[in-house]
Formats: sequence, structure tokens, C-alpha cells
Amino acid sequence: MFKKLLIANRGEIAVRIIRACRELGIRTVAVYSEADRSALHVRMADEAFCIGPPPAAESYLNIPNIMSTAELLGVDAIHPGYGFLAENPHFSEICRDVNITFVGPSPEAIAAMGNKAAARQRMKAAGVPVVPGSDGPVRTEAEALEVARAVGFPLIVKASAGGGGRGMRVVHTREDLRRALQTAQAEAEAAFGSGEVYLEKYVEEPRHIEVQILADHHHNIIHLGARDCSIQRRHQKLLEECPPPGLRDRFLRALGKAAVRAAHAINYTGAGTVEFLVDRDGHFYFMEMNTRIQVEHPVTETVTGVDIVKWQIRIAAGERLTLHQGEVEFRGHAIECRINAEDPRHDFRPAPGTITAFVPPGGPGVRVDTHAYAGYTIPPYYDSLLAKVIAWGSDRQEAISRMRRALQEFEIAGVPTTIPFHLMVLDNAFFRRGEVYTNFVQRRIDLSALAPAASSGR
Amino acid sequence: MTEDGKLDLDQIRAVIQIASEAADIAELEVQSPTLRISVKKAAAARPAAASLPAAPPAGAPAAPPAPAEPDHLVAITAPMVGTFYRAPSPDAPPFVSEGDLVEPGQTVCIIEAMKLFNEIQSEVRGRVARILVENAAPVEYGQTLMLVDPSADGA
Repeated sequence: MFKKLLIANRGEIAVRIIRACRELGIRTVAVYSEADRSALHVRMADEAFCIGPPPAAESYLNIPNIMSTAELLGVDAIHPGYGFLAENPHFSEICRDVNITFVGPSPEAIAAMGNKAAARQRMKAAGVPVVPGSDGPVRTEAEALEVARAVGFPLIVKASAGGGGRGMRVVHTREDLRRALQTAQAEAEAAFGSGEVYLEKYVEEPRHIEVQILADHHHNIIHLGARDCSIQRRHQKLLEECPPPGLRDRFLRALGKAAVRAAHAINYTGAGTVEFLVDRDGHFYFMEMNTRIQVEHPVTETVTGVDIVKWQIRIAAGERLTLHQGEVEFRGHAIECRINAEDPRHDFRPAPGTITAFVPPGGPGVRVDTHAYAGYTIPPYYDSLLAKVIAWGSDRQEAISRMRRALQEFEIAGVPTTIPFHLMVLDNAFFRRGEVYTNFVQRRIDLSALAPAASSGR
Repeated sequence: MTEDGKLDLDQIRAVIQIASEAADIAELEVQSPTLRISVKKAAAARPAAASLPAAPPAGAPAAPPAPAEPDHLVAITAPMVGTFYRAPSPDAPPFVSEGDLVEPGQTVCIIEAMKLFNEIQSEVRGRVARILVENAAPVEYGQTLMLVDPSADGA
């Protein structure tokens, strides 16, 4: 096992990784920017080192300073968390070159999933269903029209280098195709440095369902079931649950098997997530694979009792998975609400500032992962995730009741949060029936009904 | 003190450190147009006191009227994470020692990062008042390496 691990991240995930290391008896090194001097991960780690000024590009993305810190302090592993350098194959490769273990997959596996058009082709070849569309990248209008004839409208133009909803264009008619292609190519070029795009049939009102997998270096791959992440806003997930409501066990098992096949196809190792779109008729299609730990991993941990972050570290250290697929048990239902420092009354505007009061909820079935505390000032440079509340119940209904109770207990003053929004979702009749899809917020939630008065300290 | 006239705790700390580490200093006063830090050492090592804003000192040096170069120590900080070296090689003499005069652009130390040797230069002309890091020690981003006194005699 590792002796000392550096966490190349900040916020709640850095705190989560430090906790896993403590339980495994590994010393920890926190790195931080000048804006994070008083951050919780800096306080909790055994050692902490400042790596740059506030902008992420000069600190949390500063590979030379992070690698220098790793060498100076003698660490034998680096955990990248999520975001920042987590899916940068170059970073994973540098770690390998200097004999520091990157807690994640090989640079080859990251790169294989990083190019979305290539990943699609590989998944198709491996027998994982993909959304009907182009075989590889599309360059000309003629090529695009040919795809349109084969799969029909509506279509979606996507950037090969994209992900997380960026660089996408929906096309409803033949006439719109040429312009959408050109705009998407230009946008992709500007955003990702590559104008390569591909086409897919646009799945209307899909659900976003993903499968958690664990793969060791000894050819063992298991899945830990599925999560529903359909409650999103502008492709940003807000609420996730495990298991996805209203789906049969047989369907979920088929999804799990497809995810394991996907991981196999790229010799994947570590913890990863295979994302699928599920259409109204119950067909599922591979969307992309996230080659890292995800924000919403705690709902799976809560339902399966498996500590995913600890396993991620143990696998990186070369340990064999001692858990077999048949032994993975799913107990009850878990929901996660992302509490962001954003004002849902004002278009979810990020609201950095100082938290004057902070009393997180507790009691049966409630877990809170956070890096916040009373007196903490949220810097304006990074994402607005403040806390994750995870509620468990013996069934979905109990999980919802507990989440409502927990969110009402949660006292946060000084900054607006997404708590009033979540309470609204939890009370929504469609949500309670399990009718969720990626445009749920748009269709079912009236954000203007969030009364300004409801904000006081909550 | 920073350029915009705000208190710089690191610099105050550095002044306190100078006073507390030198056995032959009983009292140290550093002043600028807006700040005066005076450190007095008691037998029982009483904590230092900083006062702000300072009244224009009566016996202020005959500094030219505005725009006067602020009379305080200038910190040289680490622009990257790495290992601090005072000399170009283990056998070579150090680039600078305390009391030496430095010119703008003069190399005062090296920070080794990723096997690359980065020469760190002074941005001001002055006398090296204090070297705060041991040779071959790891340094963080922004860590104060040396203090230069631009007002020292001969500078």
C-alpha cells in the first residue's frame, strides 16, 4: 500500500479522499492555491503545499508545480479527484514516467474515452449499443446528409473532443443541417482546439442513467449498479439517485453487463462510470465513459456498502478485488442533492461569499460530504458545489422523506443555496412518481415560484 | 507592505523573525510613509507590536519628497514550487549573502523544478537584509526567500 498520497484537487472531493487515506493508514499531502489557504482540505491533510495563485490554470492545473511538490515531499501516489487533471492523459503519463502512481486508469484508457467519436466506434465494435449515427467524424454536408437519410431527424451534432454537454447542436430539418454543422465545427474548434464533429440521432426526453464500475489490474471487473442522474439543468446534474426509479432488475442487469463490456474493451482499471441514454421505449445507448471518481459516487456507496474511493486507491496499489459480482448487494434507496452556492431565483447565479452559519443535518440515514464550515469564504475562482447531502431509506419514499427532513434541518446563512430548489423537486408529484428525464427541470419545475422570502438563511 | 499600501503580514512576520533570531538586536524599527513596525524584545520575549498608521517620524531620513521610493524591505518570493539553492553548484560560492548589494536583474538564487534550474532575480537595487530559506530546502509557491533593503546605505 502507498505511504504518502498527494491530492491534486480541492473542495469536498479532496476532503473525501483524505478520509479514505486516513482509514487506509496513508499519509496525505494537500496542494492549494493562494485562494484556498484556509480551506478544509489544507487543514485536514498531514502536509500542505501552496502551488500557485488563485486561477486554476496556474495552480490546480499547474502540472510542473504539482509534480515538483510530489517529488519534494516524496509521495508515491497522486489522486486527481474529479475535474481539473482527472481526465488528462498527459498528466497520467507524466506520473507514470516519474514512477508515481496515478490513482486512475492508464493514459491510453483515458485517451480512448476522451475522443467521443473514437470511443463510440470502439463501443460499437465491442457490442455495446450506441445511438444510431455517423461512423466516426463527419466533415462535409454531403456526409452529414447521408447520415440523416439513414437515421432520420432530429439529429444532434457533437464535438469529438467535447463532453459534459458542451459543443452540441440539435438539428430538426435538412435545411438546418449545413449551418448547424458549420457552427458546431467552429464552436468545437474554439472550445476544444479541434473542429472534429460527429452525428447522432437525437433522443428526445431521455433518461440519463449511468453504471459504476470497478476494475482491478488482474482482469476482474464488477459493476456496482446504476444511478439515475436525469435531474439536470443545462447539463449540470443536480440530484442523483440509486437505483434508478421504475426500472426492472432485468433491465438494470443488462445495463451492468454492457458497462462491464465497455470497460473490458479499453482494458480499463480503477473506478469508472459508463453513461447511458435511455429512451422512452426502454432502449439504452452508450453515451460516454467518465474515467474518474464522480461527484455522485456516494449514492452507490450508500446502497451497496462499498467504499468506492478506498477501492480506487487499493486497486491503484495493485490489490485484487475481493468482491465478486454475485456478492454485490443493493439495499434500499439513496438520493443525493448537490447543495451549490447558487441562487436558483436568479438563474442559478453563482454566489461566492462568506458563510456566516453552517449547521449540517444528521440523524438516521443522512450523510453530508462537504468542505464548508461557519466562517468559510467561498472563493470566486472555482465551482460552486458547497455540500452533498445523501439520504438513505429502505425504499424510495423513505429516502425522499429523509431528504426533505435533512434539507429543512440544514442551516446555511450568508450565501444563497440550491436547497429551496431541491425541496421543490422533492415535493413535485411527477418526481415522486419516478417520472424523470433530462428536461424535467425545464418541464416540471416553475422556478419563478421560488419565493424570495423562502431564502432566509436556508 | 504591498504596492497598494495595504499591510503585508508576511513582511511583518519577516521583520519579527529578523528581530527574534538575531541575539544582538534588542529593538528593531522598520518604517515607511504609512506603516511603522517596531519590535522590542523583552527578557521574557514579549510579542511584537505593530502600529498603524505611523505618525511621520520626526527624524525621518532625508528622503526626497514625493514620489518617494517606499522605505521598506522588498521580498523576493518563489515564483514556482521547487528546491531552493543559494549557489549554482555545490562547490561554487553562493550568489549572494546577507549584506551584499544586488542590482535589478541580478541572480540571487536558483529554484530547481522538474530538473530545470530557474534563476531567480532581484527586481530592485538594494542590500540583502535577510535570507529566509536554508540551502536545498523545498519551497512553496509564493514563499518569501529573501528580503532586500532598497534604502540601505550604498544602495
